[in-house]
Amino acid sequence: MASWDEIAEALADYQQSCNQNQRLRRVQRDWSRLINFTCLDAPEITFQMTVVKGEITDWRAGQVGQHDIHVKATSEDFADMFWGDLNPSKKYLLGEIKVEGSQEDVMRLDAITSIIWPDV
Amino acid sequence: MNLVTAPALRRGLGLRSTTAVSAGLAFAAIDYLGAVTVAIFVAGTSAWLAILVAGLLCLLAAFAFSELNSLYPTAAAIRLYMRNSMDDRVALTITFTYMTTIILIIAADAFIVGRAVQYVLFPGQVFLSLPIIAALIGLAVAANLRGVRMAGNLQEAVTYGALAVTLVVSVLAMALRGFPLSNPITGLFGAGSNPVLAVVYGVFLFSAFEWVTTTAEEARRPSLVPKGMFLSLALLYVGTAAFTMALTAYFPDHGALRAVPYPQLVMAQRALGAGGLVAMFVATGLTAMNTFNGGFLTASRFIYAAAREGNLPRALSRLNVNAVPWMPVVALGAISLTVAALVYLTGAWLLLVSVGAALEATIYAVAAYCVIMLRRRRPEAVREVRMPLGYVTPVVTLVVFGGLALLAAFSDPNNPSGFSIVPVAILTGLTVASALYVTLGIPRLRARAVAAAPRRRPSRLPPSGS
Repeated sequence: MASWDEIAEALADYQQSCNQNQRLRRVQRDWSRLINFTCLDAPEITFQMTVVKGEITDWRAGQVGQHDIHVKATSEDFADMFWGDLNPSKKYLLGEIKVEGSQEDVMRLDAITSIIWPDV
Repeated sequence: MNLVTAPALRRGLGLRSTTAVSAGLAFAAIDYLGAVTVAIFVAGTSAWLAILVAGLLCLLAAFAFSELNSLYPTAAAIRLYMRNSMDDRVALTITFTYMTTIILIIAADAFIVGRAVQYVLFPGQVFLSLPIIAALIGLAVAANLRGVRMAGNLQEAVTYGALAVTLVVSVLAMALRGFPLSNPITGLFGAGSNPVLAVVYGVFLFSAFEWVTTTAEEARRPSLVPKGMFLSLALLYVGTAAFTMALTAYFPDHGALRAVPYPQLVMAQRALGAGGLVAMFVATGLTAMNTFNGGFLTASRFIYAAAREGNLPRALSRLNVNAVPWMPVVALGAISLTVAALVYLTGAWLLLVSVGAALEATIYAVAAYCVIMLRRRRPEAVREVRMPLGYVTPVVTLVVFGGLALLAAFSDPNNPSGFSIVPVAILTGLTVASALYVTLGIPRLRARAVAAAPRRRPSRLPPSGS
């Protein structure tokens, strides 16, 4: 099981990778969402990410406000996903990652990984 | 760490929306031809009865999808149900074959709308149909590539609008004839009728209602998806039964309808003159808007997901600057245009209904099979909705729809006897192609993907120097 510190380290790297990728910023330029994350194996670990016009402007522990998407997965899967070691689509299609949100948002979320790490 | 209870999604779908999604995907322009196929196999004005039986059978399928949806409320829907119920290679073969339904519907709608535009704007110049069809598909591809999507409210208005116009025109048409009733019950069983084929094609009128299960994660409450399906079946019944009744009232020789690719326009024109023609022309356009928006969106996102999963070449998951998987959109447009052109050249438009009916009946039988297998494999899992009467209803659904699929596969409404091996030949070709791809192509793709997988997470990296 991954700790919050491990997930936070992965999130910091993920934010940097996303925001530095010009192509991703361009593709997601019309996408602004408040995304909640909950660890299925450690429900006390919840966190939130704010995306504004494709830029991850903020991420933090806890969940506040009305969200657009809610992602639920194990803490290990979250850490792997934010490090780019895991293909979210595969896990999603196996039913191991659950996403509450529109199909378009599910694709947009996955697109982040597919653009930053095309081989994953 | 804050532990605040998260409120509901900002953009959750309510019952009106889930009903509209279900009905909107089902009520395509090809349904007007579906009504013709039902009419061909009944006498008098008994079509309502065949469609009612078909609707009740679809209710069984709706229960099956509701149980599966309550078990796996995810956009992966049928892909996940099948993966957990059977060998993944079989599941993928069925999935890829099933997806051809969308291509058929896009192609059929392009053909019908193209012919309708030609009939209304350029009467007598049939040769203009093909360029119009190509222009329609080209427009749909261009709009999809630019990321143009109908807003949720507009989508609902389009769906309810198309159904309402069809219903009002049909009822007015029947009223002008004094609501004629000619063998409204016995007509289904009399000489020249084929009640079983009429029900087979009746099922096609409801097909695709189940695709609303892919919105399970958007609904405000999980129960809204089953409710949406049930309400949509009722709406579809009222709309399609009224239209078929009006059609049979104005074409006592039902066989003559085989030659008409735009029966909705001819019926409305005969009954209500230019006003009726314009109204049904608008309704046809509205159904096409739904197909070109929802069909392209659903199919291209499915292909994207399959490519990301490693089951199709990775290139198919590439997004353009509008966040649209552009290769699937272009490929769908090209294949749909080819199919629509073939239909135009052969004049065998009713064959699309046979193939579509067989595919849909197959998927309903598969859904029932999944219910049975998942009850055995995951008996402890909580299901908010269950098919009633234990294993009786799933087994009945499996057997009935399996039989209907076989009948549809061996029938062609173009043929007065109703029998044909063309649909089964097309379906066998599609299934064999899917199976070959799944068996030979996918293992290679997956092997390449495993070899390319990187490791970046520090705790997963091998120790330096090793």
